[in-house]
Amino acid sequence: MAIGYYLVVSALLFSIGLVGVLLRRNAIVLFMCIELMLNSVNLTLAAAARLWGGPDGQVFVFFVIVVAAAEVVVGLALIVNLYFRRGTLDVDVPQLLRW
Amino acid sequence: MLLLAQAAEAGAGNTSEIVLFWVFAVLALGSGIAVITMRNIVHGALMLVLNFLAIAGLYLTLESAFLSIIQVLVYAGAIMVLFLFVIMLLGVDNDDLLSSEPTTRVLAVAGGALLAGALVFAFVGPYTSPASVCEADAPTATGDEVACTGLAAAYGEDDPSGVAFLGRSMFTRYTYAFELSALLLTVATIGAVILARRRDLAPEDEDEAGVLADARSAVEAEALTVAGSTVAEPARGTAQPVGEPGRHHAEAGDRAPEGDEPPAEPDGPGTDEREG
Repeated sequence: MAIGYYLVVSALLFSIGLVGVLLRRNAIVLFMCIELMLNSVNLTLAAAARLWGGPDGQVFVFFVIVVAAAEVVVGLALIVNLYFRRGTLDVDVPQLLRW
Repeated sequence: MLLLAQAAEAGAGNTSEIVLFWVFAVLALGSGIAVITMRNIVHGALMLVLNFLAIAGLYLTLESAFLSIIQVLVYAGAIMVLFLFVIMLLGVDNDDLLSSEPTTRVLAVAGGALLAGALVFAFVGPYTSPASVCEADAPTATGDEVACTGLAAAYGEDDPSGVAFLGRSMFTRYTYAFELSALLLTVATIGAVILARRRDLAPEDEDEAGVLADARSAVEAEALTVAGSTVAEPARGTAQPVGEPGRHHAEAGDRAPEGDEPPAEPDGPGTDEREG
């Protein structure tokens, strides 16, 4: 399997995540779409590691997963806080991100 | 799973890799589209789990077994459980979640298609030639084609999964980044604890308010039965806890009924803090 097919799949996944971020209004769904984009980048890095035969891409994927775990913890805490303050998760509601 | 591992071990560029790639690629893309189109958020989260598992399968076909395990454990296991936890905690309703304006939808889809087209245009060609197939007898790259090196030679004979290969690099060249990631996880844990705590009403205050409200209602009931203001005033004084000022008592009693759900009102304490 040529390595380009993996890159094409990850490019399509990234675009799907981007469309989701632009299309949906729920903050949790937005966050899930960001995870989708993050995973597609991980797939690109793993494919690049195989393409060049080195460890760096896989190490990067490992660190991206660590950072994503930390990001999800903080982001979900923020979302819960926002929901308790505003009573909604709709990001189109005016002043949702203002204190 | 064993079959998948054997198929991934069997070598690059063979039929099993092609079959597994197409299965997992279609699964990943289909579940990705389902994530952004499902109206029910719980269904979307489950589709995201499926997407993560499909990407773990793609890692297997990319000779990255360790990443595949980590993907299943951390993403499909921990992160998605956290997501589902929050969704269930907030009890989110599932109506009218798409963006409201039609122009926004059209522009979003058009922008995504444009990005996908540009990326695919960049990848197809140099990276999809026969030279980019990761096997030993691939033709040599000509022109702008990129030849695939593959990981089998780097892993060596005694490390077919590549874990030792990855660990050697992670603990020698990337030691500093590894230590920093430990620091990052600590900071994230502390930040989540601080963010998740509710500052607007501490639990002991809530208890105090509840007790005072009970005391006050008892006093008022007593005052109603007596039906005389001159009798009610001393009765209220006797019901007060020792050392509590009367003003605080009245305030706590007034505030007690809405003390259970203070964040529901839009002008919460945070707004007052910012403006004050």
